[in-house]
Amino acid sequence: MAEHLGVYLRLAAASVRATARRPAYLAARTVSAGLIVAIEVAGVLLMLDRFGSIGGWRPAEVVLLFGLAFTAQGLALVFGDTLEADKVSQLVRRGTFDQVLTRPTSPLGWVVASYVDTRFVGRMLAGAATVVWATDRAGVAWTPGRALLAALAVACAAAIIFGVLLVAAGFTFVTVQASEAANVLLYGGQYLASYPMQIYGSALRFVFVWVVPLGLAIYVPALGVLGRQGPPGLPGWLAWLSAPVAAAFLALGGLAWRAGIRHYVGTGS
Amino acid sequence: MSNVVIEVEGLRKRFRTRRGTVEAVAGIDFAVRAGEFVGYAGPNGAGKSTTVKMMSGILLPTGGRVEVCGLVPWRERRRLARRMGVVFGQRTQLWWDLPLEESFELVGHLYRIPAAERARRLARLEEVLALGPLLGVPVRSLSLGQRMRAELAAAVLPSPEVLFLDEPTIGLDVEAKVAVRDFLRELNAEEGTTVILTTHDLDDITRLCNRLIVIDHGRLVFDGTIDQLHAAYGSTRMLLVDLADPAATLVPGPGWAGAQVVRAEGHRRWIRFARDQISAADLVALVLAEHQVLDLSIMEPDIEDVIRRIYRGERGR
Repeated sequence: MAEHLGVYLRLAAASVRATARRPAYLAARTVSAGLIVAIEVAGVLLMLDRFGSIGGWRPAEVVLLFGLAFTAQGLALVFGDTLEADKVSQLVRRGTFDQVLTRPTSPLGWVVASYVDTRFVGRMLAGAATVVWATDRAGVAWTPGRALLAALAVACAAAIIFGVLLVAAGFTFVTVQASEAANVLLYGGQYLASYPMQIYGSALRFVFVWVVPLGLAIYVPALGVLGRQGPPGLPGWLAWLSAPVAAAFLALGGLAWRAGIRHYVGTGS
Repeated sequence: MSNVVIEVEGLRKRFRTRRGTVEAVAGIDFAVRAGEFVGYAGPNGAGKSTTVKMMSGILLPTGGRVEVCGLVPWRERRRLARRMGVVFGQRTQLWWDLPLEESFELVGHLYRIPAAERARRLARLEEVLALGPLLGVPVRSLSLGQRMRAELAAAVLPSPEVLFLDEPTIGLDVEAKVAVRDFLRELNAEEGTTVILTTHDLDDITRLCNRLIVIDHGRLVFDGTIDQLHAAYGSTRMLLVDLADPAATLVPGPGWAGAQVVRAEGHRRWIRFARDQISAADLVALVLAEHQVLDLSIMEPDIEDVIRRIYRGERGR
C-alpha cells in the first residue's frame, strides 16, 4: 500500500480537482454541510435549555461531545462517504467496480482516493468550531494533554466510523452481488433500478455510527478534556484505550472489505 | 509453447441465484498465441463477458484453468493488470470531469511509465488517434467517437501485452468505426499486441480478426478462421449476372455442382453456389459459355447469417 501512496495522493488530488471545476457547487455543498452542523448544535442547545443540565452536564459540555463527533464524522466521511451501501452498490451496478479490479492498485485505495468528498470538510470544520466554542463556554483550560486527548478522540472516532463503513461496504458486496447475479441472468445484464436488501437497518446503523464511537472514543476522552470525573469505576486511563479499539475496528473493517471483495470475485462462495 | 498468451482449459462458471444454479460458462477450452487478433462472439447471455471477466481477474472460475501472460488472473490480479489493457465499451476508465490530458497523466503514474517514455508514446497515440485538439477538453464533453479513441489511447498507453475489448465500436458512426478499426489493426500489426475483441458487430470481426471463437450457452461452438467458418457451415455465395437477353433462361448444367438460380428479375439472375463445391471462376465460365452477359458480381456470404445458423445449432453440411 505504501509504495502506491503517491498514486493514491494523485488520485485524491484528481478527484478534488474534478469537484473544484464547479467551484460554486463545491462551495455550496461545503457551506451547507457546515450549516447542518450549526443547525444540529442549535437543536441540541434548544433542547437542553429546557432542562438546564443533564446528569450534571451543562449544555456546553454536551455540545462538546457533539462537536467532537461531528469533527470525527466529517474526517471519516471525507474519505469514507463512498463506502456507504448505496454508493458501493452503484459502483457495482454501473460496472465501475469491475474496472477498479482491472487497475494495478488496491481496490480500497482506489475507491477511497478516487471519491474524496470535500463537502465533508465543511462538516469537519464546523465540528471543530463547535469544539472550540463549547470548550470556551465550558471554561476549559487547554493544556497539551487535553488537546492531545481531543485530537485522539476525533482520530479514533473517525477510525471507528471508517471501520464500520468498511464492514458495511463488505456486506454490500455480498447483497448486491446476489441480486446482481440474478439480474444478469434474468435481464441479460441490464441493471435493475431497485436497491438491494439493506442487511443492516437504520436503527442498527445509528447504534454503530453514533452510539459506539461516541461512547468509546468520545465520551471518555471528553471527560479528560473537561476535567470531569466519570461514573465510578471508569478510570481516566481508559481514554487511551480508544486507540487500540479504533485500530481493531479498522482491522475488522479491512477484513470485512477483503471478504466482500473475495465474495464479489467469487472466492467466497 | 512459450508464445501462448492466454490458456483456457475446461473453464466453468456457475452462478447461484434464487432460482437455482446457472452454468454461465460450461467448460470451454482455447489457447491464444501472442499477436493473435481474436473475435469473441455469441448471443446475449452466452457467457462472453463472464469469460472475459475470468480472463481479466474480475471473476473466479468455478472450475477449470485460466492463465493470462503466465499468471492466474484472480490470484495475481494486480500483476496481470500491469500487463493487460481493458476497454469496456459502455463504461469509461477516464476521469470524467477532468481534461483528457490529465487522464493520460494519471494512467502514466498508475502504470509507472517513465515520463520520457510516456511523452513519446503519447505523442504517437495522439497523432494516430487524432487526439491533439481534445487534450484540454473534459472527458464528459467528448463525443462518443472521440471518447472511444481516448479510451483506447489510455488502455494501450502502458503497452499492454493483451488487450480485452468489449464492444469498442458500439454506437459509433461510420467514420469513427473506421478510425477505431484502423488503429486496432495497426496496434496488432506493429506492436504485436494480442487482442480479444468481444463484439456483436460482425463487421468488426471480418475486418479485424484472423480468428473467431463463438460460444453459445456457455459452450464453445466454433473456433477457427473466418474461412474455416464458411467451410464448416457450408455457407453459400451468390453470383449476380445481368444477361443481355432478359427472356433467356439459365438452366443449371451438369457442371454446376449444385448451384441454383434462386431469383430472376429483368436482366438479372441470382445464382447461389457453395464455395466448397464450385469456384466462382468456374461458375462464371459456365454461364459465359452459354449466355451473353452484360455484367456480373459476386456477393460474399453474410457472416451474420452463418453465425445465426451456429446459434440455431445447425451443423455443417
